[in-house]
Order: sequence, then C-alpha cells, then structure tokens
Amino acid sequence: MFTIRLLEYEAKEVFAEFNLPLVNRLVIIRGENVEEKLSQFTFPAIVKSQIAIGSRKKAGLIKIVQTREEAITLCKDYFTRQVGTYRVEAILIESLADIKHEYYCSIALDTSGRQFVLIASAEGGIDIEEVAATRPEAIIKESISLTEGLSEEVARTVAERLDFASDLIPSATDLFMKLWKITKEKEAQLVEINPLVLTPSGIFAVDGKMILDDNAFFRQETIRDLQKKKLTDLEKTAKKFGFSFVELEGQVGILANGAGLTMALLDVLAQHGLAGMNFLDVGGGADRDRVYEALKLIFTMKPKAVLINIYGGITRCDVVADAILHTLKEFPDAPPMVIRLTGTKETEGVQILKDAGIDAYKDMMNAVEKLKGVIG
Amino acid sequence: MYISEQSKVVVQGITGNQGKFHTQLMQEYGTNIVAGVTPKKGGQEVLGIPVFNSVQEAVQERGANTSIIFVPARFTSSAVLESLNAGINMTCCITEGVPVLDMLRLVELAHSKGLHLIGPNTPGMLIPDKIKLGIMPSDMCHFGTVATIAKSGTLSYEIAKALGNADVGVSAYIGIGGDPIRGTTLVEAFDYYARDNGTNVIVVIGEIGGDEEEKVAAYIEAQNVNKPIIAYIAGKSAPEGKRMGHAGAIISGNVGTAQGKIDALSAVGAHIAETPWDIPDMVKQYL
Repeated sequence: MFTIRLLEYEAKEVFAEFNLPLVNRLVIIRGENVEEKLSQFTFPAIVKSQIAIGSRKKAGLIKIVQTREEAITLCKDYFTRQVGTYRVEAILIESLADIKHEYYCSIALDTSGRQFVLIASAEGGIDIEEVAATRPEAIIKESISLTEGLSEEVARTVAERLDFASDLIPSATDLFMKLWKITKEKEAQLVEINPLVLTPSGIFAVDGKMILDDNAFFRQETIRDLQKKKLTDLEKTAKKFGFSFVELEGQVGILANGAGLTMALLDVLAQHGLAGMNFLDVGGGADRDRVYEALKLIFTMKPKAVLINIYGGITRCDVVADAILHTLKEFPDAPPMVIRLTGTKETEGVQILKDAGIDAYKDMMNAVEKLKGVIG
Repeated sequence: MYISEQSKVVVQGITGNQGKFHTQLMQEYGTNIVAGVTPKKGGQEVLGIPVFNSVQEAVQERGANTSIIFVPARFTSSAVLESLNAGINMTCCITEGVPVLDMLRLVELAHSKGLHLIGPNTPGMLIPDKIKLGIMPSDMCHFGTVATIAKSGTLSYEIAKALGNADVGVSAYIGIGGDPIRGTTLVEAFDYYARDNGTNVIVVIGEIGGDEEEKVAAYIEAQNVNKPIIAYIAGKSAPEGKRMGHAGAIISGNVGTAQGKIDALSAVGAHIAETPWDIPDMVKQYL
C-alpha cells in the first residue's frame, strides 16, 4: 500500500480549490521555460523547491530573492538539484508575506484512536514535534468523529484559544471548517498548514502538506492523477502488480511477503552485516505473474544475490516455486538466489524446486547463513 | 477473541478462488462453516456448503454468528456493512485496501451495535486445535496458554511456528491487520488476553509506525498487568521516513520508531526479543 504525499504546490492547488487564503503564487514545472514563466511576477519573492524531503530550508532549497534575474538563476540551479533519489519536480514562487505571527494547524488521522484530530498551536513555523515534545500545553487538540464532524462551535473555540484578535476569529474558524471539508472530500489522512501566518491584511496559509488515502483511488480522481505522476518507474511497476516497494542501499535483493516479516528479515540481515537493496513485499496471494514481475524488477537493480523469503498463508509455496522456475528459464544469468519457503503447500513448493536441482530452506536462519556464504 | 469451536461461520465471497481455497483449509482444520454468501449466486453449493445471496439469509437459515470476508477491496465496505447489519457477532475481514473513511464509519457502527470486527488486511484468528477463522497456515502451533497478538501477518506466522516447534502451546493467535484503521486495535486485543483466564503469557508483535505499542505500554502500566509480556518490534533497521508497506509503518518523529516502542514497553516490564526466534526460549521461562 502507498500513501500519496502531496508536494506543497499540489496541496496549495487543493487549498485554492477550497478557497483557503493564499499569497500570490506561481508554479514552474520541470521542463517549463523559467524566463517566460517569471516575466509577470513581482519581486522580491520567495523561491521554494518542490521536492519530497523535509527541512528544505536547511538544505538551501528555499531562498528569498530580490530581483527577477536572481530568481531565474536560482530556479535553473534548483532544477539541477537532487537529494538522495529525489529531484526538484517543480518550483513555487510566492510573494513575501509581512509576517506578524506564525501559527500551526492541521487535521490528522489518529489511526490508533480511529478518529481525526484538529491540531493547532500559536507556536507554529518551527518544528511542531519539538513543541509537542517540550511544551505539550502549547498544542490544542480536538477530536473529530467522522459521523459528527467538526462543529463550527469547536472550530471557533480553537480560534479563540489561539488568541486571534476578535475581527480574525471568523476567518480562522472558517479556515478550520475548510480543513475538515478538504479532509472529508479528498479523503485525506493529513491536511496541514505550517505556518499559518498573521499579516496586516489577514491570515494566510504559507506552507501546506497533504497525505491522501491511496485505497480510495477508485472513487477519487485526484488520487488517480497523483499516482500517475508521483511514482518512480520502479514504483509504478510495483504498484501495477500490487507490491509494496522501497529502494534501499544494500547489496541483497529482497523478495518477501508481508510488511512485518520483510522488515524483520531486513533487521536480521543487518544484524549479520548484510543489507537489503530493497524492500519488496509481494503481497498476499501472489500468483506466477506477480512473482515473475517482482523478480524481474529486483534483477534490474543488479543485486549481488537475491533472497526470497515466503511464509505462505494466503500465498501458496507451490505457486511461488513454480514461478521461480519459470523466471529462471527466462533469466539464465540471474544473480544467485537463496530461497526460503514455508507455510501453505511448503512440501510441494520445496519439492518442485528440488526436482529442478534448486535447494530451498524451510528455516529462515539457515537461509541467512547460506546467503552470507554466497555474498562472501 | 469472541470465537470458539461453537462459532457458526459464514464465508462472504465463498465462490471466489481465495474464498473457496481457504474455506477448504478452514474446514479441514475443523471450523464449523455453515454457509457461504455471494450476491446473485444463492442456491449453489461450494464444498458441500450452501451458498446464500445475503448474510441475513445465512443467519436465518443456518444460524451463522461469525463471518469471514474474502471479497475484492472495493466491495469490502459493503460486505462488512452487510455483516454488521445482519447482527454477526464477529466479522473477520481478510481483504486489504478498505478506504479509511469507510473503516471509520464501520467501526463506529460496530461499536454502536456492540458487535466485533477484526481487520481489514488481517490473517485472522486461530484458537489452536479448536477453530481457525483466517488464512494462516494450519500447522503452526498447538493449544496452550500463550496468546500471540500481532500487527503483521506473515511475521506472526513465523513466531507462532517457532512457538509450535519449541512445543509451546498457544491460547490464541490474533493478527489485527495491517491497514491504517482496524476493527480491533492492538490495545483492544491485548486487553482481551490480559483478562483471559486461559492465557498466562502474552506475546506482542509490533512494528514501526503509529503509536499502538506505546498505548499497550500505557495500558500495562495503568491496569497493572502482571502477566509476563514478551515483545518483538520489527523495523529496527528501517531508514527514517521510508514507506514500508503499511500506512501505519511510517516513521513520524519520535512516535513510531522501533527504539521508542522498545523503550516504552521495556519501561513497563515487558521483555524485548532481539529476533523473532528468541521468543520461544523467553516464553518458556514463564511457563
């Protein structure tokens, strides 16, 4: 399963759709003509890289510019930047706000409490988790049940507790109500404004973040559109076949089933001085095509060895074994594989591989020992 | 948890491949499956089990009181709704990928009716040698006094199997499921077995993300639980901020890290296992 994290400019497009107060802004998507796009904008302004990492400011990926020329040079530089596997997808240029105070507000899904929570603080702008950890009394939290929703009364109380001047209470209340509307209508797990700033001309959402529920894709066009453009090519393949997939930095390709087991496997490898090149949970009930596609995807990463670890529940070991043989026929130069099969139809699965001259282990630690030998 | 060998089980989605395959495995285990449901396919039989068009009919005709759901994701919400509206006491939802907003509504409905829901995206529940309501391998372990409660499916198979191999008997095996909103939370499942007379030791299998393990720790302290608790947390080597398959497994700040969970649980006296395979020996010390 994937959650869809929106970049700031994407979140602000949603905010605009719901009429949240925003400062003047301009978006340049990678590949667009920077000079042309900037020709109508007024400076000074703030230039913000749109990249899926935290603390962009610290990384020098957000800067204030005084002139158009400065903005052009900076934008061109930003589009060459890469942090890890992420690159700058777009640049958001915004008018400077005359900031008198910074607030924090969000509506977030509290998964273990099975409710939403409106979170607000008059100490926004800086790391809210730091505030939550050191001064919890500075954070206001109001539970929202899905069926009852956020009442205007609660929204107003929160605005009052944030000490907004009385003429700003209605717009703050309205903003909180709109956050809730966005949460429900877009099926969001997080809608966050940090900071929400106070200026002489009112309040504005200066930074925004959203996380959407990938599982609602079948009835949410926004989610389908974002899925198409957000995922890397490898992730798209993974998505198409229903894998959970994350690229890591080790040398061992991993094909496993179940997120928890896959994580435990990576932990055990780490204890033995080995590191996974990826996290791939092939998902429940994997059939021949899915195992084949998963292995093909792993092979493209050129691992030193591949570890297959399947604990069959809804997944059948015989089906997996058959799929491995099928894949090996097509990839005779595949990297060495260490295979561990157990659970549903394990005897059949191990036999299928044995008949083809391939060892499979039922015990995970034996497989890990074998892998250590293979990697050397 | 709310099931026994007397439970009368209806399988929703019995005519699909997965539904049929696992109905057979559950039957072989001894689960009393009294009916199947697939809309518009009423009147058929699958593995000798009568198929009905609705859960309501399965309740009226066959006295079903427990349900297990195998229908595709986008029909799952309505399948759960149907089960709750038919008054099924325990609904076990195997299918993954139910939207969050649907789950929140369904959980509220279940609570208002006093009914129980587990999942979605759960391997189900097993009371060894008595009833299997799920998709977990059948030969994992035998009956005893150790409850195993897990967030993750396959990882918990691994641990249940290790317990079985070490001849440690299990009072119940519960997978709460990997989707973000769950019908039964880790704390609710823990609470059940903390109070269960047939359970002497509780094994908690958690993973990075969310705050359920921290809530279990808070519960242990608040309720003064004196049963021995063994805990294992997966994801110690996971890089921060990477998505690892479960929406719940997103590290966000300090809450949700493996170390944070380990610290919270050991602070209230839980014993932390380094690897899943250390668990049986640790459990044995308390039997």
